[in-house]
Amino acid sequence: MVRYQGGSLEAFQEIYAQLEAGVRRYLSHLAGRSEIADDLLQETFLQMHRSRAAYNPAYEVRPWVFGLARNVFLMNRRAARRWATVHESRPDLPEFPVLPEAERLGSQDEIRKCMAHLSPDQVEAMLLHHEWGFSFEEVAGMLGITAAAARARASRGIADLRVALTTLQRARA
Amino acid sequence: MMDRSPKPPETLMRAIAQDLRPVRPSPQPLHLALRMVPLALAVASLILFAIGPRHDSAILGPLLTWGASAAQFVVAIALVWIAAHESVPAGRLPREMVYLAVAAAPLVVVLVTLLTFSTSASNASLHVPPRINEILRVSPWTAGFACGIGSTLAGGILVLFFGLVFRNSLAIRPTVAGALYGAGAGLAINAGWRIACPFSTPWHALGAHGAAIVATLILGALIGRFLGNRRFHLGRRSSGT
Repeated sequence: MVRYQGGSLEAFQEIYAQLEAGVRRYLSHLAGRSEIADDLLQETFLQMHRSRAAYNPAYEVRPWVFGLARNVFLMNRRAARRWATVHESRPDLPEFPVLPEAERLGSQDEIRKCMAHLSPDQVEAMLLHHEWGFSFEEVAGMLGITAAAARARASRGIADLRVALTTLQRARA
Repeated sequence: MMDRSPKPPETLMRAIAQDLRPVRPSPQPLHLALRMVPLALAVASLILFAIGPRHDSAILGPLLTWGASAAQFVVAIALVWIAAHESVPAGRLPREMVYLAVAAAPLVVVLVTLLTFSTSASNASLHVPPRINEILRVSPWTAGFACGIGSTLAGGILVLFFGLVFRNSLAIRPTVAGALYGAGAGLAINAGWRIACPFSTPWHALGAHGAAIVATLILGALIGRFLGNRRFHLGRRSSGT
């Protein structure tokens, strides 16, 4: 990032290559639709470029860019008043990644179904920590909450997911 | 071997390649807030240099004159520090801390006002021509307007400066970040203004000085909102989405 701030185009390409896939999936999760995520992804990297001077090397690049992606999504939602359409038009099975922690608990289809019923706050904290590997301190910085609250949201999310999966599996049996 | 790493789209690369001038990394929030101190002190002290400290500063004592203002100034810088954190995507402080600081700011002002009034219910004259003193005596509203408008203007200068420094801020809630900068500016100005203003009555201190703090808060929120929207729309225009 420091090389990029110094004016290196190759450094930007390296950052893009390293972060593109993760940021795209995060945006897909936030927006619920991958076609919007593509636009938002481009917007995120463009905002990153415009605001590259606002980056301080004391911060990790990854949470900074993910935080920026969240910012772009929220601004986009506010500007376009898409909140209702983004969330109401979500298909039955939104594009949630399946957590590695949850894989042994049920099929991907079951996990996605159950995750759709958890609170969005819990799902976001869970995914940021378990799926994208951010520490609870980093999650806290991105969401504007304490590290303890981030930990609580993620672990409550996993617990609720477990309960939902058990209920679903029992109902099917 | 073929490079399979993802490549940025052509349009994005074009937009990036157009402007690759080197930039200086932003300082950390605390350093950024501390950088504001000299200017905030200078603007807040203008009124002190113009009309001097209040007549009853001996009655109030150094703690209630300078100490209370120093406390307000520290809260003001803390608000700017929190706002600077709000502007970093991965560096946001817990919401509780933001709300606590927002609640602490008016509490400090009210507490200082009541303490000052209970120690010295002063309504003294100023170091200004006798004619002006007479107008102030006959119509105390004039003093209220003078303090309100004067400290709003001084606070406005600080808010505009903050807006300039934080124009690239990446706040998720730009209006909140702007309001925090505005409240910080208003509080910093009030810290200096109250040492010069000879009126201790709560209606004057809270009505006129408090209104000025609220006005700078609103101004900050509006500027924050404007900058946030502008940044976003500029991004959309250049990305063509």
